[in-house]
Amino acid sequence: MTEEVVPPAVRRGAPPKKRKDGLAALGFLSPAIVTFLVFVLAPTLGVLYLSFYDWNLLSDGTFVGLDNFDRLVHDDRLLHVYGSTAYMALVILAVNVVAGLLLAVLLETRMSRWLRGFFRLSFLFPFVVSASAVALIWRFLLNKDLGLVNYVLGLAGLDRIDWLGSSAWAPVSVIVVNSWKTIGFSILVYIAGLQAIPAVLKEAAIVDGANAWTRFWRITFPMLSPTIFFLVVINTINSFQIFAEPRVLTQGGPGDASRTIVEYLYDRAFGDFDLGYASAIGITFMLVLIVLTAIQFRLSRRWTFYE
Amino acid sequence: MSRILARIATFAILVVAALAIAAPFLWIFRGAFSASDAELYKLPPTFSPGNLTAGNFGKVTDQVPYFRFFVNSLIVSTTITAAQIITCATAAYAFARLKFRGKNVLFAVVIGSLMIPIQVTIVPLFLVMSKLELTNTLWALILPGIFSGFGIFLLRQHFLALPAELEEAARIDGAGHLRTFVRVILPLSGPSIATLGILCFTYWWNDLLLPLVMISDTDRQTLPVGLVLLAGRFSTGSLGTIAAGIAMAIVPVLIVFIAAQRYIVQSIASSGLKL
Repeated sequence: MTEEVVPPAVRRGAPPKKRKDGLAALGFLSPAIVTFLVFVLAPTLGVLYLSFYDWNLLSDGTFVGLDNFDRLVHDDRLLHVYGSTAYMALVILAVNVVAGLLLAVLLETRMSRWLRGFFRLSFLFPFVVSASAVALIWRFLLNKDLGLVNYVLGLAGLDRIDWLGSSAWAPVSVIVVNSWKTIGFSILVYIAGLQAIPAVLKEAAIVDGANAWTRFWRITFPMLSPTIFFLVVINTINSFQIFAEPRVLTQGGPGDASRTIVEYLYDRAFGDFDLGYASAIGITFMLVLIVLTAIQFRLSRRWTFYE
Repeated sequence: MSRILARIATFAILVVAALAIAAPFLWIFRGAFSASDAELYKLPPTFSPGNLTAGNFGKVTDQVPYFRFFVNSLIVSTTITAAQIITCATAAYAFARLKFRGKNVLFAVVIGSLMIPIQVTIVPLFLVMSKLELTNTLWALILPGIFSGFGIFLLRQHFLALPAELEEAARIDGAGHLRTFVRVILPLSGPSIATLGILCFTYWWNDLLLPLVMISDTDRQTLPVGLVLLAGRFSTGSLGTIAAGIAMAIVPVLIVFIAAQRYIVQSIASSGLKL
C-alpha cells in the first residue's frame, strides 16, 4: 500500500544509503563484535597458542612445536575416549531426533488443552534444571542396591543392573540421563515445526483418502525436514560436548567406559596441569565438530525440503 | 475401533513418558519435605503425610550461605540475560536487514562460534579475566556469557520472517535504523526475545564450570556450586537436606519457565529455525 505513494526519487536515493548501512551495521554489531573478540576469539587463539607449548600454569612455558599434536596421534587412550564419546553422542542424537519426533507427533493429536499443557510441561521439566542437580538425583535413582530403577526392574522380574559400576552399563546410564534432560527441548522445537505446517495440506490429503502413514511420509516429514535438520545439527554439537553427566554419575568410569572428550580434556588441564596438551586436544576437537557439521550441511541438500 | 485403539496407545505412551520424566522430581520434592532419611531409602517408596516437615530447608540455610548464593545467581543470570538480549538483537538486526561488506563471512563466524565449547577455552578465558583483574568477582561470570552465537542466530531468523513493508513505512516517515529497530522491530519480537531470555537465564542459572574456575571466595559462589558443596557433605549430611537444596534451586527457574513457555513454542514456530 505504502509503496504506491513513494515517489521514484526516493527509491533512486539508494546508492548513498549503502554507505550509511555500513556505518549503521558497525554500530549495531559493535557490542557483539567486542564481546566476541575479547571473550570468544581471544581465548580460542589462546588455546591455539598454548597447543604449541609445554606449560603447567606455574613455570614459564616452553615452545615445543608440534610435539603435543604428535603425542595426541599416539595417545591410544584418547582414541578410546573418542570412541566412547561418539557412541554415547550418536545414541543420544538418535533418541532426541526419533523419540522426540514420536512424542511431539503424539502431543499434537487431539486432546484437551489442559492435558496437552500438562504433558508438555512434564516433558520440559528436566530441561530447565542444572545438569549437576539432575545427575545428583540420578545417582541415587540408579544405585544398584537402593535405587528406584532397579526396584522397578525387580518388579518386572528382571535382575539388578549395575548401572554405574559396569563398563557395559555406565555409558548407557549417561545416555539415559542426558537424553532425559535434553529431549524436552527437541520436543519443543518439533512442536513448533509441526504447528508451522499449513493445515490445508493435511486436509487436502485426507480428502484424497491418504491414510495416516502416507500423510506422515508425504506431508509431515518433508515439511518438517528443516526442523529435523536443525535438531540434528544442534544435538550433535551438544551431545559431543557432554561433561556434567559422566562427571557426577560415573567419573568417566569404570576405566574410560563412559569418559567423554571434554572430560578427558578437563582432566589433562586441571588434573595434570598439562595445559599445552589439553589445548591440542581442544583444537582438534573443535576441528572434528566443524567437519561433522560441514558434512551434515552437505548431506542435508539431499533430504531437506525448503518451500 | 482401530481409531479408539490408536488413541488409547497414544495416551498410554504419553502417560508412561510423562511419568518416567517426572518421577525423579516427585522423588526430590518428597525427599525435601521428608522428616526421616530412613524413609527415603525404603523400597517400595512410601509416602506418609504424617512425616512431612519443612525443617530440611532450614538445614540447607544453616549449612551453606544459601541466600548469598541465590542473590549471586540472580545477579549473574539477570545481567547476562539483559546484556545478551541487547547484544544479540542489535547484531541480528544488522544481519537480517542491513547491507554491508563481509556480512556472510561474519555470519559464518557466528555459526562457527557454536562449535567452541567453553570447556575448551576456559584456561585462556581465566587468563583474560586475571589480566583484567576480574577473577573472583561476579564480572568474571557475567562477561563471558554476553556473546551468544545461538542468540544472534535465533533472533536473525525471526527478524527475517517479519514483513519488510512495516519498516519501509517507518523509513519513509524519516526514521533511521535505530528508530526503526526500537519502534518497529523490537515491539514485534516479544516472543522470540522472551525465548532467548528464558534459554539464557536457565543456562547461566545452572552453569557450574565458570564459577568453579573463576571464583574462590565462598561468598561469591552461585547456586550450582552451593549444591555441590551441600552434596559434598553427603557422608555427614542428610539426603533430605540435599533434596531440599535441589528443590530450592529448581523452583525459581520453574516459575520463570512456566510463566513464559508458551512464547517459546510461538517464537520457534514463527521463525522456523531454518538453517
